[in-house]
Amino acid sequence: MKALMSLGALVGVIGILLLGGMIFNVVPSTTVRLVEGYMPMQMLFELTCFVAGFAGLSYMMNAMGMPFPRFWQGIGFWAFILLYLKYRVYPPIPFSVRAMYGTVSLVAVFMWVSASEEDWKKFKQPIMNVLDAQGGMNKLLRYAYLVLLPILIGGFSYNAMVPKSEEPIELRTVHPAPPASTKVHGKTYTLQTSQNPYRVNQEGKYDQDYTNANIVEQGMGRLMKPNANPWDDKNKGYLKYVREGGEIFFQNCHFCHGDNLNGRGLHAFAFNPIPANFTDPGTIAQLQETFIFWRVSKGGIGLPNEGFPWASVMPPWEQHLTVDEIWKVILFEYWHTGYYPRTWD
Amino acid sequence: MMDSITRKAGIAAVAAFGVVLVSSASYSIVSAQGLPEGFKKGDLAPEPSAEMIEAGKRVYFTKCVWCHGVDGAGDGPGADRLWPRPRNFNQGTFKIRHTASGELPLFDAKKPIPGQNDLFETVTHGLPGSAMPSWEGILTEEQRLQVLSFVTTQLVKDRKFTDKQSETQTVLQLAELKAKPATDESKKRGGELVVEKKCVECHGMEGRGDGNAFNLKDDWGFSIQPADWHKCWNFRGSRQDPYNVGNIFRTFSTGVNGTPMPSFADNTTVDERWDIANFVNSLCERDALGNPLPIDPLTDKPKINFVVPSDLVEGEIPTDMEHEVWKKAPKRYVAMGGQITHKPRNFVNRIDDIWVRSLYNDKSIVYLLEWDDRTKSVAEGKLPWAPTQVNIDVKEQDPKTGEEGSIAAHQNNYTVYNDAIAIETAVKWKELPAPIKPRYLFGSNDQFPVDIVKWEADGSLRAFKGTGWDKDFEERDNYEESMKLLKGEWKDGRWYVMIQRPVGNKKDQDYDEDTFFEVGQYIPTVFFAWDGHNGDAGRKMAVSAFFYTFMNPPIPKETYIYPAVIAVGVVLLEGWVLTRRANKKRGKTL
Repeated sequence: MKALMSLGALVGVIGILLLGGMIFNVVPSTTVRLVEGYMPMQMLFELTCFVAGFAGLSYMMNAMGMPFPRFWQGIGFWAFILLYLKYRVYPPIPFSVRAMYGTVSLVAVFMWVSASEEDWKKFKQPIMNVLDAQGGMNKLLRYAYLVLLPILIGGFSYNAMVPKSEEPIELRTVHPAPPASTKVHGKTYTLQTSQNPYRVNQEGKYDQDYTNANIVEQGMGRLMKPNANPWDDKNKGYLKYVREGGEIFFQNCHFCHGDNLNGRGLHAFAFNPIPANFTDPGTIAQLQETFIFWRVSKGGIGLPNEGFPWASVMPPWEQHLTVDEIWKVILFEYWHTGYYPRTWD
Repeated sequence: MMDSITRKAGIAAVAAFGVVLVSSASYSIVSAQGLPEGFKKGDLAPEPSAEMIEAGKRVYFTKCVWCHGVDGAGDGPGADRLWPRPRNFNQGTFKIRHTASGELPLFDAKKPIPGQNDLFETVTHGLPGSAMPSWEGILTEEQRLQVLSFVTTQLVKDRKFTDKQSETQTVLQLAELKAKPATDESKKRGGELVVEKKCVECHGMEGRGDGNAFNLKDDWGFSIQPADWHKCWNFRGSRQDPYNVGNIFRTFSTGVNGTPMPSFADNTTVDERWDIANFVNSLCERDALGNPLPIDPLTDKPKINFVVPSDLVEGEIPTDMEHEVWKKAPKRYVAMGGQITHKPRNFVNRIDDIWVRSLYNDKSIVYLLEWDDRTKSVAEGKLPWAPTQVNIDVKEQDPKTGEEGSIAAHQNNYTVYNDAIAIETAVKWKELPAPIKPRYLFGSNDQFPVDIVKWEADGSLRAFKGTGWDKDFEERDNYEESMKLLKGEWKDGRWYVMIQRPVGNKKDQDYDEDTFFEVGQYIPTVFFAWDGHNGDAGRKMAVSAFFYTFMNPPIPKETYIYPAVIAVGVVLLEGWVLTRRANKKRGKTL
């Protein structure tokens, strides 16, 4: 038990030191990278580690005869969460979202300190002490608060009122609702029933199991399966079309979506928001192939209002590519990222 | 006691003398070998294992083949629309190295150590300013070493990394050379040396890469441009650490193989090289306080602030850039990408950023736009289309042409049009629900048009109304009289353009055509830029994302009054809490 707790204490101390380093810019916040696509899980995992670590730390300090008052534990933990959200996570979380998380964690901290009557008493004891101002120290504190609180609150409100030119926050619907059907190059495609004509096996038959079996391997690198090289000249069916789709991708799409389909292409730095990252499980992995077909064909100009159409420079690809080319590119994108398109059933 | 101190001092002096002796001796040995200062002989790395090579083939055919091609000749499907073209591995010519000019770069499949493995670092950090991305976080260290094992043994065909007969390794000992502090004196000497060593002949008098911008060719005969020292984040060898002076020192010491950039190791001392590196590094853009710009880890370019603030000026807005109010005005980095939404798409945009400042008074708003352009381009004779024409006959690059017809081969061979810049703002922006804007490319439709103010290098300043990406502009003739070109100058590779336009009011302007600038409001603004030597015209141009012009309001009185009122309120609240608590303790309740 003791060993476990001291291990926890160590984790807690390291966590506090790391975060401190990030706040003062000694440790770059990219030291332990948040892996694209797994960010929420990673954050939850890290925070769980910290909670366990702090529990161990508090236990150890108790055992060493230096108990840490419940009051400061509560405040300290809340401050830790706020700082963690602000300094650990990159790209930065907008203030409004952080404020939401902050409120939720404040409520959680209150629930924790008021779990029982006794805990609650322990928690509010320091506040009461200052209010009563029995000892000299508490008297001093009371006067300090009397003067500092109005100044601080006045200062904050001044800060909030001074006109500022901060970038307005624009939350945008990433996957707006698609239409029932879309007309591309004179032909109407019903999104519910259309299929990618190139998702075929070696015999040329539509075959999802076959194509899903030949995508790249998930895991670091996302490399092709050893016996499924799209550059093999003997390929027929799916892999041949993957290669053709890749050629179109690298002649048209990589400028924005990047050589690794992660939205970090040559021109990406100039755009806001930066282009979609297909390797993120929140993009094409969440969508049906026909949805992608509609988005690719119609581009930013074809988005409905909730998608805030004019913030997207996505070309309406029907102006540049044929229907066959669009389907092949979509095939390639799923192959290269190692995801399956969602299906209607 | 005294005795022992003097003895220690004596020993120390002898030791120091000895160190000097030994080091000068080793220096003379090095010179005897004919090695330039700061270099040491290195050993060729052993051949990577067959398993590594085989595993690397799998990485190559998943990730690299699309640009570098099946035989590594830099002719993959993506190559013809790229400039610079993807590297042709066959000749074994690699740009960023620690090895002497002409030698193969450092590569050891077992040592992924920074400073000792050039190719590994190139794959890890990418080559900014080209399409080569950073593969860190995408491929594991092992996978990066594997793919390089494959490339160096199978795709480099004319040379062999392990051939002791023909290959040598003379390695720059960058880790052992202590950087010289970037003092004013060192930078000054560096500034003199870049003239003396003729760096400025290619890189230009101000280092904007405008010196010999047309005639430089790489080993494969493609046009190549000298680096712009003011954009260190675009240095190919910046290794995601652009303000690190060591990168410049290394490139300057070893040269860039396959390009006209030579190594200066033989005709400069290490000390001189540090001076030059310090000087070049000092030219890279910095903030108002002289600190390096914050680099966005998502893009490896300077962080973008999408608000262009405009400060209030009493009376006339000065036309002199050196005036104090202009120096105080915050400068914004506006990133520019190619227009690749509609035909003709601009795959290679040679203008990749603009620096914008703005000031306003009660009548007008002035934008000061500065951007690096290696060539001043003014079309000869009359352009074959009207200024309002949008759908003009400019061809976009075909996807598959082979090397001769590729976009790289076209560089510096385009018909020259005018350099130009335009500011597009939304008309009737207040009627649009907040985040919705007109379309970035020349507006949405007749209902929500845009106001376009365009300056061209022939000295013209025109105003148009845009109603859609494929609609020709509509002229707004009497508006142009109310605008003013305060400056339009090209000097040493940089344009300086100052445009004044009315802020607009309902009396003498057209609400349906002109943007009304209101103090304290976010006015959607887009910037367009054309490089005449890139054949840019019509929709072939560089574009920015949506920025906001924000005219900073003077601070209102309420800002001072309300906080004071709130503070007094807090004091009263405190009094109430304390009295209540005291009463409660005494057993009384209010």
